[in-house]
This record gives sequence, structure tokens and C-alpha cells, in this order.
Amino acid sequence: MGNCCSDVAGGQSAVGGTNSSYAANASNEAVDAFFKSRGYNGLFSQIELSLSATDLRNRDVLSKSDPMAVLYIKGSDGSLRELGRTEVVLNSLSPKWIKKFTVTYQFEMVQNLVLRVYDVDTQFHGMDVKALKLEEQQLLGEATCTLSEIATKLYRTVTVDLAHGEVSAPAHTRKCGQLTVYAEESVASKTTVELVLRCSDLESKDLFSKSDPFLVISKATEHGILVPICKTEVLENDHEPTWKQIFLSIQQVGSKDSPLLIECFDFNSNGKHALLGKAQKSLAELERLHSTGSVENLFIPMSVGQNHQRKVLKSQLIVDKYSENIQHTFLDYLAGGYELNFMVAIDFTASNGNPRLPDSLHYIDPSGRPNAYQRAILEVGGVLQFYDYDKKFPAWGFGARPIDGPVSHCFNLNGSSTYCEVEGIHGIMMAYASALSNVSLAGPTLFGHVVMQAAQIASGSVARNERKYFVLLIITDGVITDLQETKDAFVMASDLPLSILIVGVGGADFKEMEILDADKGERLESSSGRVASRDIVQFVPFRDVQSGEDSVVQSLLAELPTQFLTYVRARGIGPTA
Amino acid sequence: MERKGSPYVIEITVISAEGLRLSRNQPVKKNSCVVLRSDPFNSRTTGMDSEGGSYPAWNEKLLMELPANARFLTVEAHSGSRLVGAASIPVSDFAASFLPVNYLSFLSYRLRDAHGAKNGILNLSVKVIGRPSPTIGCAASCSGGPWPGVPLADGKVAGHGIVTGIPVSYRW
Repeated sequence: MGNCCSDVAGGQSAVGGTNSSYAANASNEAVDAFFKSRGYNGLFSQIELSLSATDLRNRDVLSKSDPMAVLYIKGSDGSLRELGRTEVVLNSLSPKWIKKFTVTYQFEMVQNLVLRVYDVDTQFHGMDVKALKLEEQQLLGEATCTLSEIATKLYRTVTVDLAHGEVSAPAHTRKCGQLTVYAEESVASKTTVELVLRCSDLESKDLFSKSDPFLVISKATEHGILVPICKTEVLENDHEPTWKQIFLSIQQVGSKDSPLLIECFDFNSNGKHALLGKAQKSLAELERLHSTGSVENLFIPMSVGQNHQRKVLKSQLIVDKYSENIQHTFLDYLAGGYELNFMVAIDFTASNGNPRLPDSLHYIDPSGRPNAYQRAILEVGGVLQFYDYDKKFPAWGFGARPIDGPVSHCFNLNGSSTYCEVEGIHGIMMAYASALSNVSLAGPTLFGHVVMQAAQIASGSVARNERKYFVLLIITDGVITDLQETKDAFVMASDLPLSILIVGVGGADFKEMEILDADKGERLESSSGRVASRDIVQFVPFRDVQSGEDSVVQSLLAELPTQFLTYVRARGIGPTA
Repeated sequence: MERKGSPYVIEITVISAEGLRLSRNQPVKKNSCVVLRSDPFNSRTTGMDSEGGSYPAWNEKLLMELPANARFLTVEAHSGSRLVGAASIPVSDFAASFLPVNYLSFLSYRLRDAHGAKNGILNLSVKVIGRPSPTIGCAASCSGGPWPGVPLADGKVAGHGIVTGIPVSYRW
């Protein structure tokens, strides 16, 4: 396809703008990357936190406390990083702070927040809050919560108890009032504008034919530099062109009132596109043009000597369609009560080694140091449990022989023959440890049964019209025996509200797993000729994690919000029931 | 096949196709369309796509009546008058008993040309609009409803290249 004609075709296609509803079900890596670079994919959302408190302790003698709240984020090493301070509210035991905090929400990690409320002494009043030395102020109380907890209760409030732990005396932790956090997502980022633009009476720039017009829309940055944000397709030989719809996000544009430069060019395959005219309009003005049905004449800048003039042309710009719609984000769905349900399947094949020996991947260290399986459950489950409201997790094992039975490729970890659910992450760990002593490791490694089991739960939930999305974590030590069987199961599951995370532990060669992870190659194809309609598999070898970075679990989880959004958006499912 | 329920209606949105080729190294240039067939006498055709080349997009909704005992739908991608590739869609992929009515299934299929060689992928979505009225006593009593199709647990389809449907009466 490397002929020059296709080059021209590429140059003539439309670029930029924002996710249209169709772009959501057609995947385009370049577009994805573009949105990611702008934080426009639900992965990174800006959350605005408002704080208020009730029943604070009174530390001032003659008047009430003068509280100020400070927000910290706790790093994985336990260190605190200050995110910001509120203003000081005078004489109040139930202050409502006006200052908002903007925190970047990241789905794939647990973000621990620490909130401290200080009483600011009178002598410091009037000072800039940032300049206050916190050690000179009296601590009224401290509260901790996770951002995921807040994110699932968006547009609702989360109330946490303030505690005042005196140094090394947690027993004396007293109640010191309550802190209420209200969270909302910045709205501007969600609105997209759909435009259909048309021009009439364009001039002819080509010698023998009509012009081949296309539009470029640019925004002016603070420094006056023009940054192109989108380009339409080229319409050949057309002096009355109507381009396909353009999608712009308000976030991309800046605001509805920021001026946009709309330039109409005549396409020239040598790259020297001739300007046919331009117009400067903000989105608000374009909306007005549309609602009043008026037209805008294009102009061409002329420089006569020193002064710049505009030559107004006969050509006109017409807005055929202007509509704003809100593109719902991952957080909207969480706030609307959508749940992510967590499921686990653990590899009990003999290749893991005898669990009683220390070199086994299943060896449970009496010192309490978790093995690779336990660590994967803890890390992935630790993030996902916040999105599963009943905290009942189905847990299975595969590739082992339960007592006196034949090899099972999907048995309940809790030993029960009827129900597969266990309570909480702790429940998974207990069931895992007890299963280890109750089954004998065997083989081969087959995922099909486990995936089918998960798919059955997911389809049952769909049939009951529940608002749930399922995440199956498969932890395995080796290469699957029947690749095609696994592919068939994955292809079938791709139409269900299900994502599959595979963690490879141990030192085996995981090349085949990479094939399953569709974003590294071709789309999965079943033996019957059906092709996976979307990417639902993520694979990560866990040995990378052992080197101490937690970024691997994050990369495993990072695609989940996107996979979730492709599912709900393609089906037109709204965030609220 | 004792099941003779009334025919039901499905809404198929032919979304797009990927990588259609006329021959080994000749991609489809333009004018591709998709033909859906439920039986030799019953077919629906999309409009021509003139812009997409070998990656055509139609986004076209087609309503189609399916006999209650239909097991397959055939899809064919044409370029002009030439058949580029075809695939068989098992009805159980979108009308299986575990799926609720009006569930929008997003399905993709590998197309194969007359010689059986791989030729592109077709993306479509299918929604079952009307259920056939249960005409047989068994159908009403079966928990899943009177659907031809195989429950998910046994959803693995046997065979290579050509899909085989499993008659539903084996299950009940």
C-alpha cells in the first residue's frame, strides 16, 4: 500500500477533534494516544474536593477554634506530600471551607489521602496560609481515606471521623469531630461540541478545476501562538463544501469563549495549501451563528505597507449543526452506581513445584512474607475491592486434583461444591491457603473452564439487568496448554461485560500470553471464525514487579477504564439507571 | 426440529470491515457492500461504501426476519459485483438463551474468500427485537425462554473453518 496515492489520501483525511460516539467503538491507536496525552480517557480525571467539618474540638479559651484543613497524599513508602491548604475559618467548630482541592484520580492505584485540621492561633491570622508553620499550630484531628472511596461516591459526601492520636498512644485516640468530603469531577472536560461546517462561494485557486477545500481549526495560546486542533477531510472540486461533523472538546479548546481561527485551504498535494479565507470565531459565536441562521464572511489578511488589513471575501462560512453533548467518564459511571466485580482464578498446576518446599511458587512462608500468588492477589485486589460493593469475590483454582477426584480445571477455592464466593481479599487469601493443603497439584494449564465460569456469571448479571462489569484475574505460572481453546473462550467473552487480567508468575516463557493480549498484535480469532469484538485481555509478567516497582500492577489495571468505557459507550448505556 | 415458532425480527447494524482484498496484494479500492442472507430467498443489502477503500464503514441498520429454526446467517462482502469474502454467523452468538431481549451484541467475524483463504474482518452489532411467541409447551416452561441457541457453558463450537450449530433440542 506504499504508493503515493495512499499518501495523499492520508493527508486528506480529517484529524483531531474529540471522540465521537463512533470513535468510541472503532479503535484508533493514534487517536487514543492523542486523548491520553490530553488526559481525556477517564484514566486520569481531575476531582475537585470540598471540605467541611462538624464538632471540632475547641482549643481557644475565649473564642472558638479557627480551623484550617491541610490535604496530604500518602506515598507508597508512607511519606506524606502536601497537596494544599484551605483558608482559615474564624471562630467556627463546624467550618465549611471554600478553597477546593483538585486531585488527579488514577484508577490503577490506591491513593491514600490524609486530612489534617489545625487550629490557627490568632497571632498568625492575616498571614498567607502557605507560609504558616504547621508545627506551630495546634492539630485538631487527622483523618484518612482513599481517593477511590471518594470517587465511587462522586456528587455525594463521604464522612470520616477525625482522630487525634497522641504520640505513641493510639489507645487514647479520641473522637475529635467529623470531616465531610464532597467530590465532583471538573465538568468542562466532559463536554464535547459537534459541529457541521459548510462554506459557500469559495474562490477558485486551481488552474483547470475547482478548489479542493479543507478546514483547519486552531486555537490561540496565551503567548499568541496558534495551535491547530483539528482538520477536516479534503473535498475535491467543491466550491460549496459541507464537511463531515467535527468533534471538539471544551477542554481542548480552553473555553467556549476562547477565540478559534478557522482557516479554509485549497489542498495541494505538494503541501503548499493556498489560503481560501479565514474567520475568527469562538465556540459561543459559532453557536450564535447556528441559532440565528446567519452567515460569516471569510476574510484574507492583506498587508499594505505597515498596516494589516482584512479583505472581506464573498465566501461564507455557515454552521449547519452545533450541538453540545457530555461524554460520560469512567467516574460518572462509578458515581451512577456501576460496580466492578472482582474474580480470581489461581493456577494449581504441578509446574509450580511442591508447595511444601521453599522453591515452590506456592510456598507459604511461615514468616508471613507473601508468595508471588499472594502478592498478585493483594496488589490487584487491593485496588479493585473499592469498586465492588458487597466485597464477595468468586475464587477458583485450576489444574489440580481435589481429594479423590479427577483433575479439575475450575474448582471453588473455598472447598464448597455449590458456591464460589469468599468474603473480602482476606477471604481469598484464606481460601487459597486452605486449598493448597487440600488439593494435589496436577495439570495441564487450561483457562477455558475458568473463563466460561466467569462469562456465565457476567451473562447472568446482564440478563438480570444489573449494572456490573466483571474483572477476572488469572494468576498462572506457565504457558497454557491449549491456546486455541483459550482464544475461543476469550472471543466469546468479548461481547460480555468482562475484562480478563492475566498475571504470569515465575520464570517461564510467556510469549504465548503476549499473543492473547490483543493490543500487542492481531485481534483474537476463534476456531469458528468469530473475532473478538474488543480487547478484553491484559497480560503482565509478575517478575517485573519483584524488582520493587509497583508500576506493573498499575499497567495491568490501566486499561480497565478504557475497556469498561468501550463496553458501555458502544451499547449506549448511560451512567445512571 | 419440532420447534416451529413464529419468525422473529433482528436488527443488524453493519458497522465496518477491515482489510478487504481483491487478490493477495490488491486491496479493495471502493464500492463495497455487505449482503446478509437468512436463506436463499431472504436477503438484505447495505449501500455502497465509496470512501473507505479496503476499510469500508457503513454504519447501516438493516431489519431482517429470521425463521425461528434458523441456525445461521450468512454475510457476504462484495466489491462491485465481485464476492470478496463471506462468513457464517451462528444465531446462538446473538440469540442465546442467557442473553436478555434487546441485548446489543457486538460481533466480529473473519471473512473467507471462495478458496477459503482469510480475507478481512467484518464488524457488526445485532439486536433481537421481537421474540417468537412460544408455541410449544416446552418452550414456555424452559427457564431460558424459547431461544434456539446453546447456553454459554457449552458455547464452544466444534469444527474448523465452518461453524456447526448444535440443535437446541439436544439440550432439553
